[in-house]
Amino acid sequence: MRIFDPHVHMTSRTTDDYEAMAAAGVRAVVEPAFWLGQPRTSPGSFADYFDALIGWEPFRAGQFGIRHHATIALNPKEANDPRCREVLELVPRYLDKDAVVAVGEIGYDSMTPLEDIAFAAQLALAVEFDLPALVHTPHRDKVRGTQRSLDVVKESGIDPGRVVIDHLNEVTVELVRDTGCWLGFSIYPDTKMSPPRMVELLRRHGTERMLVNSAADWGRSDPLLTRRTGEAMLAAGFGADDVDRVLWRNPVEFYGQSGRLDLSDADSPADFAGNSIKRGGA
Amino acid sequence: MNLRFGYGTNGFANHRLSDALAVLADLGYDGVALTLDHHHLDPYAPGLARRVSGLATRLMELGLSVVVETGARYLLDPRRKHAPTLLHDEREVRLDFLLRAVSIASDLGAEAVSCWSGVRPPAVDAQLAWDRLVDGCARLTEAASKAGVPVGFEPEPGMFVQDLSGWRTLHRALGMPRAFGLTLDLGHCRCLEPEPVADCVVAAAPWLVNVQIEDMRRGVHEHLEFGEGEIDFPPVLRALADAGYRGLVGVELPRHSHAAPDVARRSLTFLRAAAGQSGTATDRSAAAPGMRAPGQRRPAGAVPAPEVLRAALAGVDDGGWLDEALRRVAADPSVISRLFPAAARRCGRAEVLPGWTADEAARAVLLAMLPAERAAVQARALYRHGDAAEKRAVLRALPLLPVGASAVELLHDAIRTNDTRLVAAALGPYAAHLDAAAWRQAVVKCVFMGIALSCVDDLDHRADSELAAMLAGVADERHAAGRELPADAAALLARLKAEKGI
Repeated sequence: MRIFDPHVHMTSRTTDDYEAMAAAGVRAVVEPAFWLGQPRTSPGSFADYFDALIGWEPFRAGQFGIRHHATIALNPKEANDPRCREVLELVPRYLDKDAVVAVGEIGYDSMTPLEDIAFAAQLALAVEFDLPALVHTPHRDKVRGTQRSLDVVKESGIDPGRVVIDHLNEVTVELVRDTGCWLGFSIYPDTKMSPPRMVELLRRHGTERMLVNSAADWGRSDPLLTRRTGEAMLAAGFGADDVDRVLWRNPVEFYGQSGRLDLSDADSPADFAGNSIKRGGA
Repeated sequence: MNLRFGYGTNGFANHRLSDALAVLADLGYDGVALTLDHHHLDPYAPGLARRVSGLATRLMELGLSVVVETGARYLLDPRRKHAPTLLHDEREVRLDFLLRAVSIASDLGAEAVSCWSGVRPPAVDAQLAWDRLVDGCARLTEAASKAGVPVGFEPEPGMFVQDLSGWRTLHRALGMPRAFGLTLDLGHCRCLEPEPVADCVVAAAPWLVNVQIEDMRRGVHEHLEFGEGEIDFPPVLRALADAGYRGLVGVELPRHSHAAPDVARRSLTFLRAAAGQSGTATDRSAAAPGMRAPGQRRPAGAVPAPEVLRAALAGVDDGGWLDEALRRVAADPSVISRLFPAAARRCGRAEVLPGWTADEAARAVLLAMLPAERAAVQARALYRHGDAAEKRAVLRALPLLPVGASAVELLHDAIRTNDTRLVAAALGPYAAHLDAAAWRQAVVKCVFMGIALSCVDDLDHRADSELAAMLAGVADERHAAGRELPADAAALLARLKAEKGI
């Protein structure tokens, strides 16, 4: 089973995770820029964080034979903090980088006017830099937040086929299914989605434009839940090709729209064990 | 030896062009350097298309290759030699002529169009002359690029651009376009270049599109028959062959027209003999067939000149992106900040020279375009805001930039990281600016990180007893843990112990 986790915050994870992920078949990840659990107080912290996402973290991932790409944005939570507003001026510089395959995470947290501004401005950047966009949907007031996100996406003029609406569930999936946007599902140990519930959604809505991620971060989460979802799919009667579509070909197709996805050698069936250090240090 | 010899028709000024071609073909020349002139394919006389087509047929019948030369003395102005040039107020006249020459060259299937700057008119100040030259060459190069014929710009003693250094400056000001090459007159090298003629050939090889040859003496710009000057030709011809030069090597004796057939005969005899004398070396190259990549003969560790890197990128299919990027940076250095990150996507990451991938070579060439007063600031900014590959490219290009020791802080930053790619790149030739303590720490860090010590420039010379003591400490710790030093570090330690008597 080859796995591309399209949303995982590896900065917060240990090398044990990388090792386990590689062993489970994870060969590529996208790490979206988000917040760190504790609020940042200056744009400088963001610059160092973004630098790590395009420098140190890909190096770490490479040591385990995992390709690492990133999405860059000012996240909606911190868009509300006036001390972090200048981050919007930093973002374009990073959108030129080879390993940056989308603008994200953007969207809503509390649906404030400041979030409106950051969301719209960064969708415009996605259009300007010819990149896809990763849209986070809020935890609170999720249905209205998702609907409003779709409205803003529509207003921006970006091709919906270049947008993923993330963290969907049974309640919000219908809102997005027919918009042309991609659908992202974060599989969590307790909250968000679980593997069996995900399988049910795949059965009901098919595998087209469906993205499954672990969204693993500094909270209680599990970067192997992509694998568990694939196994649950097989157990429920999906074929290996369906699993490959959801866990590999779909994310490749979505982020491939950036023109910057570099998976040379990563999608071959070869096992990377034994040569991981060499690949990372090249 | 695969050199192809030609002869300049300006040395047959008293012959009809068709007669000159017949004589040269009979003597065994491979080609001609055709100086367009009032009596040799006058580009301003009627029936040009018909005459060009007739000449193309004739050249083919005779089996002669051709390059087009534009140095006629009184073609454009019957009173003033070489006037107007690209530097004069009437420079459009010269440019029109050069564009005609490009068009003729294209129709003839010529290998290059050669031109020079001309002498700066006293009434034109140096800055204005430079601006005019750059503008004229840019327009000429654009036309030549479209026509598929390279420009061979020739440094000429006494002219505004008179040596290889001047050509490099002009080349960079133009953005190092692929279609702007070099016509190298080997006699001129003897006359005024600081390096021996053969070394000039090696340095210029990647951009050579046309070569002129004759004898000359140091400091005297007089084209002499072979044997009358000071040049030792066998090593020079050897250098041309080794560099993989495949163009014409054309005899340039414009003041010998009175005895042209005899001079041409003697010249070819001489050149063939000289080529034969360097024949022992020819056998060596026969053992290793194929064109040698430029720069391959440089000592390990040295960084190839920007011209060499640019030439090595010539085969990269980037849709003309790098040409355009270099042109834009030449015009406005600030645009490098957006072009630099895109280099890998546009040029790819294939190796173009030993140890140089296309993205790193392209980024180094972009950096080399920066004017001296901006280079340090821009390099720092590109490093600061770069991803790991961009940072690495800046580190590797530092020896090429006019920044002195001012960028050493970038090495300190790179060595502070735990990224093997950056640490290794920080220990190239620019690490000569690191003080001994920092350098030793960096070398030992390589050992810890498993980085091969072959990345450390000047290691054999710089390694001292203090480094040996530090390595011995690492070895002791490793032994205590039941582990060994990497083989290269162990070998270095053993050698240092023996040499320094530790």
